[in-house]
Amino acid sequence: MTDDFDRILDECIDRINRGANLADCLSDYPAYAEKLKPLLQSMHDVRKTYAFTPSADTKRQARQRFHAALDRQGRMPTPSLFLRVIRQPAVWATIAALVLAVISVLVIQPVLNPLTVVPSPEGNFAFLISDEPNDIGDFESLNVTISRVVLQGAGSLKRLEFTPETETIDLTQLQGEQSREIWRGNVPAGQYSHVYIYVSEGTGKLASTGQIVDVKLPSSKLHISMLFEVTDDTVTSFTFDITVVATGNNGKYILKPQIGESGARQEQEPLE
Amino acid sequence: MNVGGGRNISGMHEYETQLAGLYEEYYDKIARYVYVHIGNKEEAKDIAGEVFLKALKSLKSYQDRGIPMQGWLFRIAHNLTVDYLRKMDKRRTVPIDSVVLAVSDNPIDAAERNIEFGRVTEAMKQLTTEQREVINLRFFGGLTSSEVGGILGKGDGAVREMQRAAIEKLRGIMGVEI
Repeated sequence: MTDDFDRILDECIDRINRGANLADCLSDYPAYAEKLKPLLQSMHDVRKTYAFTPSADTKRQARQRFHAALDRQGRMPTPSLFLRVIRQPAVWATIAALVLAVISVLVIQPVLNPLTVVPSPEGNFAFLISDEPNDIGDFESLNVTISRVVLQGAGSLKRLEFTPETETIDLTQLQGEQSREIWRGNVPAGQYSHVYIYVSEGTGKLASTGQIVDVKLPSSKLHISMLFEVTDDTVTSFTFDITVVATGNNGKYILKPQIGESGARQEQEPLE
Repeated sequence: MNVGGGRNISGMHEYETQLAGLYEEYYDKIARYVYVHIGNKEEAKDIAGEVFLKALKSLKSYQDRGIPMQGWLFRIAHNLTVDYLRKMDKRRTVPIDSVVLAVSDNPIDAAERNIEFGRVTEAMKQLTTEQREVINLRFFGGLTSSEVGGILGKGDGAVREMQRAAIEKLRGIMGVEI
């Protein structure tokens, strides 16, 4: 009996936590209502006493710190044992020439000569843009022009680039779950570790004043470090989430990648 | 756009994505959880932000713990809260019991809220440490009894029993207007 009551009380607390009201729960359990009511009322009193919601501004600042740390962590993985060894001066001096040769072959040449891939509606890779709402509400429109996208292959896979079929997108139309495909084509199967998008222009119209403002990037490109896999037999959709944030109270805005909202997924339907 | 269900092959990146996905839902809840412990809203907000930064730094250690990530976040929140209270104790600053709520424009309303705050805080202090933690995680963290059990190392039934006993005790101390 007590166990039954404990379960019903627990269920009511879960329901209230999810937004239901006390009366709904009592009406569902009339046999227990007399005993439940004072306990749930006590819960209500305690919650009311300690109720507070951090302001949107406070939450936004904390979110920015968190995502900045997330971005830094993505760019600076924990050094491997190999890296710790080669950081020893004596070891470094011995293998420097070899490393330079390897870098020349595996890194510099691919960078200078990335593989350019062309769009195809039947391709195995789709690239989408989305927008995590931070300060996008300040804008009536925010047009961003992406001149090219670069995928860095992991291991021996070559670096490749493509030009979006849709170059200019309005981020105000891509908030939250909204996204827009800007390229689809065939890319070599394998693992990729970095995605770069090069933004040539960002121009926004402020909703409050109608003023046109340039939206800057911290550098010429937005970068996400994330390991994902492309296969030959399914379509891999990669969503690159961009967010716009105010840099203070000076009316300036910058674009940033949102690693937490970006990523790859495979579509269920296999390619013919 | 949340793509947490995708097939990213790096475990760490999956955890990072999962953690980022929990931010929106749990930042406020963690701030309230901390506030109940320390009675200071500004510090509670700072600690809530610190919880996510600490979780990010410690993601590797999360992999071996076998509890839902939101439960793990509350463990971090608990540890940071204990650290904070220790520091406050060493500095011998404002004791928790004497924290005064912000004064509103209406002094009568403010006085009533302060009295109510004192009444509930006093009742909460009468609970055992575990009962208080169950109430805090259930009422303010929004965790299920199963998730609370994972954090406290208890079964679901034990948590439900502790929860009922705690609320009955609170009711007895506070009284209820019906």
